[in-house]
Amino acid sequence: MEYSNLRRQTIFMKKNLFDQGFLDEQFNQLEELQDESSPNFVEEVVDLFFKDSSRLLTNIEQAIDKYPQDFYRLDSLVHQFKGSGSSIGALRVKNECSVFKAHCNDRSLEGCRRSFQKIKREHATLKQKLESYFQLLRQVGPREHAVSSRK
Amino acid sequence: MRPDERKGVVAARRDQFPVGMRVLAVDDDPVCLKVLETLLLRCQYHVSTTNQAAIALKMLRENRDMFDLVISDVHMPDMDGFKLLELVGLEMDLPVIMLSVNGETKTVMKGITHGACDYLLKPVRIEELRNIWQHVVRRKFSTRDRANLDIYEECNKPSNADSDHAHGHVTCGSPDQSGRPSKKRKEYYSEEEDEGEEDNTQETDDPSAPKKPRVVWSVELHRKFVAAVNQLGIDKAVPKRILELMNVEKLTRENVASHLQKYRLYLKRLSAVASQQVSIVAALGGRDPFLHMGAFEGLQGYQAFTSSTSLSSFTPHGLINSPRNNPAAFGTQRVSASKSIQTVTGGHALNHSICDANKYHLSSPGNQQGNLGQGMATSLGQTQMQPKWIQEETDDLSTIFSGNGLANSGMSATLQGVTSSPLLPQELVECTQVKVGSQPSVLTPSVSSGHLEGTVGVSSSLLDPRVSQQTTIPLSEFSASGLPIHGLFNNSCATKLGATSSASTPVHPSDDLLVARDTKAGASSFGSTMLLPPDTEQKYLNFGGGNSFKHKFDERTADSLFDLKFVWSSGLSSQSASNIGAHHSISQRWNNSSSNNSNIGARMIGQPSSSASTVAPHAKSDFLISGDMLVPKNASDLSVPKLQSELSSSSCSFDGLLNSIIKVEKDDVSFSDDLGCSDFYSLGACI
Repeated sequence: MEYSNLRRQTIFMKKNLFDQGFLDEQFNQLEELQDESSPNFVEEVVDLFFKDSSRLLTNIEQAIDKYPQDFYRLDSLVHQFKGSGSSIGALRVKNECSVFKAHCNDRSLEGCRRSFQKIKREHATLKQKLESYFQLLRQVGPREHAVSSRK
Repeated sequence: MRPDERKGVVAARRDQFPVGMRVLAVDDDPVCLKVLETLLLRCQYHVSTTNQAAIALKMLRENRDMFDLVISDVHMPDMDGFKLLELVGLEMDLPVIMLSVNGETKTVMKGITHGACDYLLKPVRIEELRNIWQHVVRRKFSTRDRANLDIYEECNKPSNADSDHAHGHVTCGSPDQSGRPSKKRKEYYSEEEDEGEEDNTQETDDPSAPKKPRVVWSVELHRKFVAAVNQLGIDKAVPKRILELMNVEKLTRENVASHLQKYRLYLKRLSAVASQQVSIVAALGGRDPFLHMGAFEGLQGYQAFTSSTSLSSFTPHGLINSPRNNPAAFGTQRVSASKSIQTVTGGHALNHSICDANKYHLSSPGNQQGNLGQGMATSLGQTQMQPKWIQEETDDLSTIFSGNGLANSGMSATLQGVTSSPLLPQELVECTQVKVGSQPSVLTPSVSSGHLEGTVGVSSSLLDPRVSQQTTIPLSEFSASGLPIHGLFNNSCATKLGATSSASTPVHPSDDLLVARDTKAGASSFGSTMLLPPDTEQKYLNFGGGNSFKHKFDERTADSLFDLKFVWSSGLSSQSASNIGAHHSISQRWNNSSSNNSNIGARMIGQPSSSASTVAPHAKSDFLISGDMLVPKNASDLSVPKLQSELSSSSCSFDGLLNSIIKVEKDDVSFSDDLGCSDFYSLGACI
């Protein structure tokens, strides 16, 4: 049946995201928070994340260019990014942020730059994947989603 | 859930704690905030969110009772999370939980030392949030517990104890721990003191901390003690020698040491401006049960607050009228202290003093003095405040007491002021330089300031170390405060102050109240009052109209005395956050049991402030008197007259004061304990 097919696809997709380390347990927690009163909670949060994180990324990029030696500032910005990312379960992004912070500690501008590029890539990839995921979910329907979230 | 729906649910759920617990979440990250909000809602808490610390503070200040708990991110652009933490702890005495992605030990440590109840790592899991209500209960418990215990034990009056126990159901249990009144408190003090003056960390809300066999400082014992101290000379009075001179069995050096500390504080208090404290206490009246000088620890970090200007925001009137605000003033550790003072005394000076005191406490003593002096002067201007207080005293008192925080500081200040009063030996005055420094002028406002300083310092010291706990036990605080103060003052002139402080401890009429469980404390508080110049005393004593005062007492149950005492205690005990808590509980208790505690207390508070130098002492006496009065309940008439006469005649005889105090103490034993702890706390905090 189309429906169950879709459902299976969402389950599969989600599993992939987890297996590949894009998402972690926190994402599950978010899904569990979703209920009748907030049926699109996860998607809303994720959207919020991507909106906010884009802004943060821009700030970081600017900071790297304008204040390359201000590691404190860079660390601070990435710290925020890491916080948001961890709140939605963006594992890879979070990990890369940690790497970036380590570079800041070492005061390695080059390391920071490299790491930042990685962060951007991870961020973009995650965004894309989650968008597809949610698109699929929407087709399946919220109830299904709640069921499938139980892993 | 729709907002309106939620409201109804929330309202209904408020009774089913922890369901409906009101949480304020602060995080600049919108994603985290949203997730947190949802998680909290899932736990069935009532949630308010904001992404700016400034807004959070505003919300909290507007209505202190609006929230039970605050969760805040550490890393925020507009204000450092730790700073917010301190502020909230100081002003509102609310439990604060920190959140951060950063889980490094040093950061977590920082959070804890700044007074956070807990430190959670992002991403926060719902299981962790399900347990956060413990912090709210724990805080309530410890403050109430202490206050209740003290009062319960001190008074040994079932009626008293029970009334307040209603609030803190938990606290009722404590009396069982030690049969003797004020035992608990004493134990705390003993423990505290033995740990060292500066080490006030123990002011935790752990009523069941291991207790050593308590020594009850009876009048006789105290007399011996004072005689020994005088014989040795304040400077040279060391516990060991005192012990030898006293030649009392079963008295350990530690007992003497802690008693000495209290005595020194007491002496300090005597010279401090009693009135100011009173006013502050009155002002602090805010009865925020959760007012704790919780963020004591933060005090140290709070240099910024020392500026009195910040305090000025709290007008006395405002304080009185809005007890809640008091805590705010008080909350910011130092600032609050000063604030409260300000409010109370209507003068910024107080705040200054307090601030200074805090600063002093934290930093170099020398600098403080100057500030205090200024502060004091201003506080003196409080006189006008008094009338207001009087009117509002009923409410304020209770609130004040609940607000403890300020009261404590106020009290401490008074205490200190007391010590600096001219009555004190020159050296004493000199000693307390930082705080007392101004005191030489004694009768002048500076005294008050000195007093305030002293108190403030004390409070700060108390706050600082470990006050974060709410454990308020007034007595312990007192001792605790004595410890810190002592430390502070001791810096300037340890020995000298010692004499005073010990004297001051007796002031607590009932020990319960203020800090020292033991009579010592009571006496000292009393004594402090007594030291006030006779004329001022009269003034204050008459404040209540002596007669009216008495009358009031008669009418009122010990509560009013309590309140006064609390104020005292608060001042004294402000040192430890716990005091505040206790204070609060005490006040609550009292309020429950007695009718107009607050009135009396308020009155007293208002009065003292009028006269700068003498004020302090007076305030004290007033309190004490009331304390006595309240406690005995029937002795009020007697106590008051007694006190009054004592006060007027004893201008300079410290011993005389002590004696009076001691006498009063006896009556008030039960009284002081309870009141002191919580009320003072709240007083201080209120402001």
